Amino acid sequence: MSDFIKHPVVSLPDRAPEPVFSKEELVFTEAEKEQIEAFRAQYPTPESAVMKTFWLAQEKFGFLPPEVIRLAADTLGIPFSLAYGVATFYTQYYKAQKGKYVLDVCTCFSCQLCGGYDMLRYLEEKLDIREGETTEDGLFTIQGAECLGACGTAPMLQVTNGPYVHNLSREKLDALIDALKAGKKPPFVSVTLPQDEDDLGGNRRSDAEATEVGQTPPAAETFE
Amino acid sequence: MPKITIDNKEYAFEGQPKLLQFCLDHGVELPHFCYHPALSVPANCRQCLVEVGMPVRDRETGEISRNDDGEPIVRWGPKMTTSCSVDMADGMAVRTHRSSELVEQAQRDNLEFLLVNHPLDCPICDQAGHCPLQNQTYKYGPEGSRFEFRKVQKPKKVVLGPRVMLDGERCINCTRCTRFTDEVSKSHQLTIIERGVKNYPMTPPGEVFDDPYSMNVIDICPVGALTSIDFRFRARIWEMSSAPSITVTNAKGANCSYWVRDNLVLRITPRANPHINDYWLPDEDRATYARFNEQRPDGPRIRGDEGLQPADWETAYARASELLGSADGSNILFLGSPHATVEDNYLLCKLAAALGASPPAYIPHVKPGAGDGWLITDDKAPNAEGCRRLGVRPVDPALVRARLEAGEIAALYALEDDPVASGLFQAAEIQDIPVVLHTYHTTNETLAAADVALPAAMVVETVGSYVSEDGHAQRVWPAKAIRGVNRTLRMEMGVSRLDSHGTPFDRWHNAANQVQCKPSWEMLPNIARGLGLEWADASPKEIMREIAQHLGAFEGATYENMGSSGVRLTEIGTLA
Ligand code: SF4
Ligand code: FES
Ligand code: FES
Repeated sequence: MSDFIKHPVVSLPDRAPEPVFSKEELVFTEAEKEQIEAFRAQYPTPESAVMKTFWLAQEKFGFLPPEVIRLAADTLGIPFSLAYGVATFYTQYYKAQKGKYVLDVCTCFSCQLCGGYDMLRYLEEKLDIREGETTEDGLFTIQGAECLGACGTAPMLQVTNGPYVHNLSREKLDALIDALKAGKKPPFVSVTLPQDEDDLGGNRRSDAEATEVGQTPPAAETFE
Repeated sequence: MPKITIDNKEYAFEGQPKLLQFCLDHGVELPHFCYHPALSVPANCRQCLVEVGMPVRDRETGEISRNDDGEPIVRWGPKMTTSCSVDMADGMAVRTHRSSELVEQAQRDNLEFLLVNHPLDCPICDQAGHCPLQNQTYKYGPEGSRFEFRKVQKPKKVVLGPRVMLDGERCINCTRCTRFTDEVSKSHQLTIIERGVKNYPMTPPGEVFDDPYSMNVIDICPVGALTSIDFRFRARIWEMSSAPSITVTNAKGANCSYWVRDNLVLRITPRANPHINDYWLPDEDRATYARFNEQRPDGPRIRGDEGLQPADWETAYARASELLGSADGSNILFLGSPHATVEDNYLLCKLAAALGASPPAYIPHVKPGAGDGWLITDDKAPNAEGCRRLGVRPVDPALVRARLEAGEIAALYALEDDPVASGLFQAAEIQDIPVVLHTYHTTNETLAAADVALPAAMVVETVGSYVSEDGHAQRVWPAKAIRGVNRTLRMEMGVSRLDSHGTPFDRWHNAANQVQCKPSWEMLPNIARGLGLEWADASPKEIMREIAQHLGAFEGATYENMGSSGVRLTEIGTLA
């Protein structure tokens, strides 16, 4: 975001892009179609099912180039333009190919104060890429993200629209990258509030794969 | 009847109108951008905020609680509400900026936000002068801006389709354009892409905004974000005058305004008429403006030894009368025209009857399959229904051919059409008989055989009425001046262009580009008199009154009744 504030230029998307996927690749299996039909049945209008359908499509194709957005729209019987508007609205839908692991490092207010940019820059150095770029081996993409709603455990990041990694430190990032390189995704961690530790025995969620104790966040070294 | 109090003034209402629309209908102006009466209500611009309250009722009795002065006690909402989305209710109380500082402040702040990334390029913007954003900022906006960031730069000069261009920076994301394509034209070709400060309307990849109604988004865009590729930078709004009229591209009779500068029509925009076209106009209707300016004749011509030669009007009339008088009346073929007004066709019918000829026929201009069942019709002429109601029937080419071959056509009188281009005759076939032609353009192919060519005023220059395919009779006002003096036209012009072109003495009056032509209702009586008939000059209004009186198919079709939105004539089954 900081780059955008300095150079607030919005560019025109490619209006006639070459398709990435061939006609043969651009199909949903019978099972997927059934699933989409089930999504559609959950809502009064088919338009509402577009988000879940995108999610399914993104898991299948890895990202959503225009032809996949059109496929999703056609499958649901909704206008392509509407689907395209939705897909471009949400940053969680990837419009371009990304790394296998997308690291969304929060640099919004709370995280920034607690070292969001320290973490982002450390990752950049470590993986030798800039924010928004993907490593050559196609494993990692780093992105700066706006508030992901976990300010209490700042600084934090999210891995590919999935698990959050809380209370980040450089050591924790080293460990995360090693684990991901070994193909191990971090678990879903439930973080308790410090006061609950004292009074409620942690008040932990029983369904969480792992828990962590809340801690006082650090102060940032750099701001942008 | 339920009542509502707006700024301490009571209004009665019926049904369940939206508050904003009710205010606008009752002269209580409220600033707004995203609301459009023909579209859904997204309430996204937040400019129409007002304070709304409901009277406090006694829990037990349900009676309205009153204070010591007997006034109802109002419980005001905790926050302001967008008036465009509020359904009115009995007893509701409303405070607008006229009585609430809070609302005034909200309007100001909202405009400050809307302008944060707006380029403020009004001096070069086509919308300036009739821009809701500009006008409302002057009226309700802040003195300046407190934002010191760099403004976001968005794509400019984006060709969305063949006729519409986008300037992303000017857009305030009201979504009127996308709602138009989703709800009205249903082409679904536009969407808002991206989010936050980065968003703007766009076609999805691989699609072109070629909706046959695409240019309507230009009219409803409350800023200058969407402009006409053709009209961009051609004229400032305050240099033009506009006159209420109808389009003549097809038989729908859609209401429009012709915009004129220096007697050239520069663009055509829709004029609201709930009976016909609501707020819309097809692109096809707007594309034809150049035909009112180009290839127009310069005065009458009569055929001499060296072909068609310029003549003055009196000579041309005299020659026409002489040619008609020399033929046997029953052998003169009169062709009416679905391009001409009811009045002009009616006068032609009268002339044919007076000379003992059979009633005029007209050349149809129907393209089967060209229509869309909405504002585009198969019929490409505006007044075929008016002709039919006058008893002017579609011409029978076989019959005409037979008569021509039998030598039964001794003269041809063609009103505002082109029999040769239409394929009714070849120019050579009518070379030897006298031909009198009322024509709009110098490209008229029948000119090759014409003996008297009379330049006729087009819809933008005349007064007259047309009957749409659905039987809607409407009159038009002159939008631009022609050369020469006609008292009726001048008086009508004073009404139609009251805004800026009242009289020849005002500063807008301009003799440039005036076409030397005359309305057919002025020419026909002159020719009739030359034939010894006792015809007085009559204005179209008087002619129409006569028609409405004598022809059942036109009952009620007087200018008074037609007003500016026309009258629906009764269905007529089989025409006489
Ligand atoms: S282009 Fe105009 S009509 Fe469309 S969203 Fe922007 S401001 Fe509204
Ligand atoms: S600011 Fe980072 S999660 Fe809220
Ligand atoms: S007009 Fe009411 S919110 Fe836009």
